[in-house]
Amino acid sequence: MKGLARCLAPVLLALALTACVSPPAPKYQPAIDNTNLLIKQSAKLGVGQFSAAAGVSNHSLAVRASELTGGGSDGTFSTYLHDAILTELQTSGRYDSSSPLQISGVLTRNELSSGIGTGTAKVGAEFALTRNNAVCFKKTLLAEHEWDSSFIGAVAIPAAFGNYPTTVQKLLGQLFADPDFVAAVRASNSSPR
Amino acid sequence: MGISCWLSRSLRFVVALAVCTGVTGCMTVKSYVDPALPVISNTQLPKVQQPQPTTVLFEFKTKGNNNARATSAMSGRVVAAVAQSGMFGQLSTTVSDPNGALLSITINNVADTSGATAKGVGTGLTLGLAGSLVTDNYICTATYTVAGKSYETTVHHALLSTIGNHSAPQGLAPMAPRDAMNQIVDQLVWHALAQLDSESAFRVGSL
Repeated sequence: MKGLARCLAPVLLALALTACVSPPAPKYQPAIDNTNLLIKQSAKLGVGQFSAAAGVSNHSLAVRASELTGGGSDGTFSTYLHDAILTELQTSGRYDSSSPLQISGVLTRNELSSGIGTGTAKVGAEFALTRNNAVCFKKTLLAEHEWDSSFIGAVAIPAAFGNYPTTVQKLLGQLFADPDFVAAVRASNSSPR
Repeated sequence: MGISCWLSRSLRFVVALAVCTGVTGCMTVKSYVDPALPVISNTQLPKVQQPQPTTVLFEFKTKGNNNARATSAMSGRVVAAVAQSGMFGQLSTTVSDPNGALLSITINNVADTSGATAKGVGTGLTLGLAGSLVTDNYICTATYTVAGKSYETTVHHALLSTIGNHSAPQGLAPMAPRDAMNQIVDQLVWHALAQLDSESAFRVGSL
């Protein structure tokens, strides 16, 4: 019996260790729906500073025995959000670093879970739009996302990691479709510089 | 503990590890492209009189959810397939003219999960002796927007994969998974473009 246990131990160890990984969040990809929303905007925007609120996980998110790391250029999730909005604006031809309109944000919520049956993610941020340094829009938005998860870690963990960018896409989609944001951009565009 | 006992234990440990890694070889995956969709080449595509400069947007989805990793991995192949069609002018992946032509392509991977877990567990527990056949369905939706009008079409395709000891689907030759996926992407894009052309989508700019 002891011999069998000794033989099985390395096998189980080898199988278990396959689940322990800490990759960065997948490179953000623009969502077609978001591009279509931004194309309708008449003004171009710059991207200001993004940070994380106190107590919000900004460097890593634990998923079972693994963790997803920030993925932004400085390894944080707030910079990931900055890079994501920059990608969206560039793809839709709506980015201008010297625009009087600048969007900035604070990550207010950042959660990722791979439950058995259903995986969930919640990403929230307070976005601020400024025109010549005067705030013309400020709102906190929250994106919640769910997907089919699995009991098997080798399936559930990559699925959770892969669905994080999707949650960020949803958050940015909320922002770009927000009537107050659209109105603020439009009003700023019609005002003299 | 004598040296012979220590060697015996070490040998058992090494054998267990070797078995653990060795059995993965029995779980070979072979890919096959579903023959239901006729294979066309880019030279068989309709000729467009005045190819328009177009922005190409691509998104890969898994069960309806955007899949950033797969989008990143496949966008080059999708844009290349669009370019090889010869039906467009200059292609871009970022919008330079908000009023210009826009081609949006979405490929949604909808796996046939009926009994997949049970089949997978069976294959795994028997180390591949009880093989399984998995079907991945792909639904490509292409939307072409130009001059305020939108045209949309849908194409279906499938990737068949055998895992472990399972016979090949009748009449199909196995392919490397990447080659099979590339063929599926090319065929989805070219069929979608041919269908959009049949709706006169690409004649708007040349009228």
